[in-house]
Amino acid sequence: MKHNIRKTIGSAALAVAILLPSASGAQQRNATVSSRPIAYDVARETIIRGVVISYTEDSSEPPMGAHVAVQTGSATVDVHLGPAAYLRSNHFSLSAGDPVRFVGVSISTKKGNVFLARLVQNGKQALALRSPNGFLLAATAARALPQAAGTQNVQKGAPR
Amino acid sequence: MNTRMNRLVPLAWLFVAFFAAACGGGGSSSGPPPPPAAKFSNATLAGQYALSMTGTELCAGQASIFSRAGSFIADGNGHIVGGLEDINVCTGVQTLSFTGGQYSVGPDGRGSISLTNNTGTTTYSIALSTATQGFIGQTDANTTASGSFQRQNPAAFANAAINGGYVFDFKGAEVAGTAVNVASIVGRFDADGGGNVSNGLFDSNIAGTLSGQQTFLPGSFYKVDSNSDGSAFGRGTAHIAGQDFAFYIVDATRVKFIGTGFPSVFIGEAFTQQNIAFNVASLSGSYAFSIDGTSSSGPIAAAGRFTADGGGNVTNIVADENNNGGVALLPNGTLTGTYTVDANQLGGGTLTWTDSKAGTSSFIFYLVSPTQAVFQETDSQIVSDGSFSAQTTSSISTAALAGDYVFGWNGISPDPEDFIGQLTLTSSGTFSGFMDLNEFTSGKQFFDIPVKGSLALIGDGTQANTFKVDAQTTPPSTFNFTVYVVNENTLLLVGVDTNRLVIGTMRRQP
Repeated sequence: MKHNIRKTIGSAALAVAILLPSASGAQQRNATVSSRPIAYDVARETIIRGVVISYTEDSSEPPMGAHVAVQTGSATVDVHLGPAAYLRSNHFSLSAGDPVRFVGVSISTKKGNVFLARLVQNGKQALALRSPNGFLLAATAARALPQAAGTQNVQKGAPR
Repeated sequence: MNTRMNRLVPLAWLFVAFFAAACGGGGSSSGPPPPPAAKFSNATLAGQYALSMTGTELCAGQASIFSRAGSFIADGNGHIVGGLEDINVCTGVQTLSFTGGQYSVGPDGRGSISLTNNTGTTTYSIALSTATQGFIGQTDANTTASGSFQRQNPAAFANAAINGGYVFDFKGAEVAGTAVNVASIVGRFDADGGGNVSNGLFDSNIAGTLSGQQTFLPGSFYKVDSNSDGSAFGRGTAHIAGQDFAFYIVDATRVKFIGTGFPSVFIGEAFTQQNIAFNVASLSGSYAFSIDGTSSSGPIAAAGRFTADGGGNVTNIVADENNNGGVALLPNGTLTGTYTVDANQLGGGTLTWTDSKAGTSSFIFYLVSPTQAVFQETDSQIVSDGSFSAQTTSSISTAALAGDYVFGWNGISPDPEDFIGQLTLTSSGTFSGFMDLNEFTSGKQFFDIPVKGSLALIGDGTQANTFKVDAQTTPPSTFNFTVYVVNENTLLLVGVDTNRLVIGTMRRQP
């Protein structure tokens, strides 16, 4: 019985796939999306400007990673930057007194609000920390490098 | 090359042997009883094994996701005598032959492997749960990864062996131009034993964008290599779920896949799907799960359990989630859930639960059988996948769990790290053992680190249990886990520390 059902479904799916010129196959079931309070909602992106009060490379407060306390006009904002190693590898640093600008989204955690930064600018230097969808680039960004550039920068002689 | 390879027997066991000899004294004809026979040795690792793993490499000075899958041949005497692997690294995809290597396996099942190809030698820690499978972690500087290996059945190295339904779970990153997006793809297909696939269905989650259930495009296929190299190692190529892959056959029931569509990178496995018409009653009873991936906060992992009533409702949901150090426990308020199984009877379905305080978590799944499934989270800005398995219905005691286990864990703190180890759990819940640890950012590898701690079962043991590990690193480290028992052979762990995220599995040794 199952195989008959599969044949029927397979034939129907094939017909639909042929009829639709899209790059992906026919959609069989819609996905349900529910939003969690921790989510980076691009629609809620804001810009904050201020002065660095302190920079912590390995914060004890979640989310893990580098945090920077920023004095804005009205308040102190805890900004999450992601792994400090990513900042270092991009030769990006923050120090007390630096005038900074961030694009990101504020989320609520058990210990208060945290601003998840997607873009950070310190003077003339800017760095993308998250993708346009809000995911950290630290573990994936190198994948977008031109292959030749990647080759040049891989450790010389490193076994693969 | 890692100097650890020179050790034919782990130091810990040399110490035990020396201590036993020193305490043995002399002049007594009866003497102490001989030490128990070693369960594992170099002879245990013999034959052909498929491996797969994913982790982090240094690329252009940055951490970068990579994957490898392959096959190696161990001669039972400490030598790697052949093999082949596919790697997907930041410079491209390569297929490399193993020209040599060494390995050692200690009495506790822990050991090490070196694999040599024309680019050099890579090194790994291993922990055997049996002679046919184990955990593996790469231990090179600036490269850390972990995964598993299983003994291959060469009789299955043919298109004809790949026949019937298969359920798969791939994770990685999809690259389009300069955009790099974390990705998860789960689904199922029918293989006809001749290289053709039909009834292919998949759900992808690319950086939080859900595809919904899609059919495979025409042109999907699988093909076991027919050339002299690939055919000897169970290698093949495939185009399924819209992606290009190389694969390595473990046996007819299990295949390891690695994405070859560089610069995108995927890794995963496919398992034989039971040939039944799935319906809502197929999901019935208790299940334990683990799932991990990425959220907009960073890495995310969760473990838990739920009960399905066979009629579309889930109850008794318990879960621990670590979202880059932010730990959330369920239930928090009142927790209810539902599930559906697709009307096409091919094993796909949806699963949702809502906590009155914590909100809603949603998933799609594909059933391997009524006792096993792969699943993918579909909540906004979370890309994660994992599996759930039927959980024992009887009460669990520490006495029942007592025994030897190997483990493979991975995580961040906040930079990537992988752990491979072994421990002995007593009937009182205390344990001791050893593990190897590779820290990516520091570029440091630690071997034979003593670990000890305790397991505390809560209630009947089928719920959230606590597992505390003290590791004699420098400085000492403490890991706090919640453990969900699948059965007396398999435990799922998720770290609940706010300064470290670890997810992993423990498997019983004989």
